[in-house]
Amino acid sequence: MKIDRDEAKRIATLAHLEFDDPALERMAGEMTKILSYIDQLREVDVAGFEWTDPADATPLRDDMPRTPVDRDAVAANAPSFSDDGHFIVPKVIGD
Amino acid sequence: MTDLLNLPWHEAREQASGKELAAASLSAIDALNPKLNAFLQVGRDIGDGMPVAVKDNIVTTDMPTTCASRILSNFTSPFDATAVARLRAGGCSIAGKTNLDEFAMGSSTEHSAFGPARNPWDPSRVPGGSSGGSAVAVAARMVPAALGSETGGSVRQPAALCGVVGLKPTYGRISRNGLVAFGSSVDQIGIITKTVRECASLLGMIAGHDPLDSTSATNAVDDYAADLDAGVRGLRFGVVREAVEQLEGEVRANFDDALAVLRAGGAVIEEVSVPSIGYAIAIYYIVANAEASANLSRFDGIRFGHRSDRAKSLREVYFESRGEGFGDEVKRRIMLGTFALSSGYYDAYYGRAQAVRSKLRDDFNNAFARFDYLLTPTTPEVAFPIGAKTDDPLAMYLSDIFTAPANLVGIPAIAVPSGFSRGHLPLSLQIMAPHFAERALFRAANFFERETNYWREAPPV
Repeated sequence: MKIDRDEAKRIATLAHLEFDDPALERMAGEMTKILSYIDQLREVDVAGFEWTDPADATPLRDDMPRTPVDRDAVAANAPSFSDDGHFIVPKVIGD
Repeated sequence: MTDLLNLPWHEAREQASGKELAAASLSAIDALNPKLNAFLQVGRDIGDGMPVAVKDNIVTTDMPTTCASRILSNFTSPFDATAVARLRAGGCSIAGKTNLDEFAMGSSTEHSAFGPARNPWDPSRVPGGSSGGSAVAVAARMVPAALGSETGGSVRQPAALCGVVGLKPTYGRISRNGLVAFGSSVDQIGIITKTVRECASLLGMIAGHDPLDSTSATNAVDDYAADLDAGVRGLRFGVVREAVEQLEGEVRANFDDALAVLRAGGAVIEEVSVPSIGYAIAIYYIVANAEASANLSRFDGIRFGHRSDRAKSLREVYFESRGEGFGDEVKRRIMLGTFALSSGYYDAYYGRAQAVRSKLRDDFNNAFARFDYLLTPTTPEVAFPIGAKTDDPLAMYLSDIFTAPANLVGIPAIAVPSGFSRGHLPLSLQIMAPHFAERALFRAANFFERETNYWREAPPV
């Protein structure tokens, strides 16, 4: 599977990563090499083992509230936190 | 007092108090860490229980958790991981946080944002990874035990390269609550010690269901030390043909010697085929990276971790913070994982990898129908020089060729020291067992350890 610059750019945008041009070229090359190794999976006969989303995967629990995380501890880790307990972020709506 | 650090903890405790040993441990850390870079944080609280080092992707309230990444260099968790809480409840103290490949992505600890850890047997060589710091901390006798984590072999492989015991338990055996998620369907906390007995003891302390981890198993916690001295007479060991046929030189000779030890104890040893095992690395690098791309999306500069000073819009907060905070290997794996899950490629890559994974699991089930254990060397090679593989990501990935299958299939596996190379670097035997057969695993591993005693030799640091 060959990953070219445009494909690498598409994937980077999905992944919320940005690369300068030389880094993007390098990444495209490395991904191509690694995916070429991974492409050997195509030769496997998987009859009877086809993957389907399991219906009964992780067990669920009752939707009961538990002890919340300490707000001061959260504030201490936050890049930007208001006095009334909100994470401060750049404006998203408007303009 | 330093000599006592060469003994298993309970033996050392017959000759000194817990507090004296913990103080000796702290001195050893202060003396050796500048050269070996095993610890990113050292705990100064000397209790009288066993000091245990914790890999820095497992959260602790009293010390930061960085995952060896710039994106988390300022993060302190508001809660202890369940495994950490259970260690503390069992009387252990947390000796410090150990170095790792960033976000546990690597096989050498060279991808740490804070410099590599160094192999105590030869500090110009890697200790393995990603739990390199933990393996060094135990091998260099800085601490009697350490927690690491596994996704593709990251406890067993560094344990092998550093000449210590490394256990990956059955998936679900130890709670993942508080282990920073990488590949959620494969991640497990693992245990590194000098001896099998100490490993069994610690597993008993931290294993068990946790309501905070819905993937943790409800199976009862066993008495893991019960069969340590039961020997291997009549037990059936399968040598994985597809792994062994590639072996050559010192690794081959050492593996054959290990088989002879088991045979001398009355073990029945035959070859067995696990036909899909050669695909394990390919499966792993799709599944683990796909899951990682989802798990690492939480590092976005919003609620915790690094936020870029240059970000003026929300988009820039995401892109710049992640761009500045993540190292190259992490970005590479996120890219691979994002690709594998993206529209148009999901079935061909993630779907197919999961299908081959099911087939691999079936191969293992067939093998365990005839054998109690499966055997391979833990790694294809001894510790390599720092810098030898950093230009070739794929070559680095192939270090996990014998370890990754157990992660994908969920079975428990242990690495035990099996001797030394001509260059006096550690070699290691890997024993695998069926799901939840840790007690049997320790039985076989302990027999091998008692017959060979390689753990008694400490590195020349």
